[in-house]
Amino acid sequence: MRLRVSGEHTGNSYDLYSVMGEISIDNKLPNYHLLNSFIEALQEKDPNRVSILRKKISHQMGDQALVDISAVIAAFNAFPRMADATGIPLEEEKKKISEKMRAELKIDQLITT
Amino acid sequence: MGHIFENAPVKIREELFNAIGLAHSKLGISGDWIFGSDRVKIMAEVRSSQRCRLCSDSKKAISPNSIIGNHDTITDLPSSWIDIIHRVTSDSGRLSKRWFSDSIKRGLSEYEFIEILSVCVQTIAIDVFALGIGAEIPPLPKSQSNKPNRRKTPEAKMGPGWVSTIDPKDADADFLDFYNNENHFYIRRSMTLLPNETRRLWKLLDNLYLDDPRIDELDGIERGISRAQMEFLAARASALLGCFY
Repeated sequence: MRLRVSGEHTGNSYDLYSVMGEISIDNKLPNYHLLNSFIEALQEKDPNRVSILRKKISHQMGDQALVDISAVIAAFNAFPRMADATGIPLEEEKKKISEKMRAELKIDQLITT
Repeated sequence: MGHIFENAPVKIREELFNAIGLAHSKLGISGDWIFGSDRVKIMAEVRSSQRCRLCSDSKKAISPNSIIGNHDTITDLPSSWIDIIHRVTSDSGRLSKRWFSDSIKRGLSEYEFIEILSVCVQTIAIDVFALGIGAEIPPLPKSQSNKPNRRKTPEAKMGPGWVSTIDPKDADADFLDFYNNENHFYIRRSMTLLPNETRRLWKLLDNLYLDDPRIDELDGIERGISRAQMEFLAARASALLGCFY
């Protein structure tokens, strides 16, 4: 949801399907493919692939980017687990404003109780 | 022990460096309900769960409940704790209310549940960060097992999820600032049953991500990536974990 808001702010339109893992050749997000490969390797805990991609990120985006990319991924290894382990629902406000996006991405079909 | 990332291969911005160091050291100290020595065992169990056969088989199954067996453990923690640690680490996207209720029926208190969860997610976050930047996975912290005070939180009420939390309306004067900046999102509230523990947890999370996620862009905030890149990573990580909150 915040990705769409950020796009509205900057005037860019981002492909939200890429979040669900659909390969997006035309994604306008800078370094999208590199970020996507890195997060997948990190989530799979594949040290060799992480190492190769880490070097690419440092080279193309800089060390501070590597730190902040790793930090955001680290944080979002905590937030989802907190949400899912405590069973918190989506807030009503967020439900309303994300209705169209959730339908587009078919997210509600993936939720189990 | 020095800072766990003092020899990190990249420079870590100062506030994040400090927040991670503090979080790691506090993980070994007794919390509100659990002794420091057991918190360190939880951390060890988080790491070992990646080699657990039951977790691996359950993850591949259509339903995690269809696989019966025992987790591979390396500690003497109670089996109800082990199941929480392993499931939260390996298959959090398929946790259910029934799973939570069964955990509580096995003699666990809500307070213990929240503290176990807090130690788990902080351990995971620190380890993911280490792997990301190319640092060694940090050693377990030294434990300090002073007696937990086990003070209950009478202002907490059931909801909005499966666990009791402090509604911002019921927060006492000492805790009101936790909900500053209209920070009333349920995720912020989700673990407030243990106010001290949740403050420590969020000190880490705020520095890994953002103090105030309502901002549209990163004007004046020191980050090496754009807001849109941050949100892509956030959403993609959540999706990979099967979380659609």
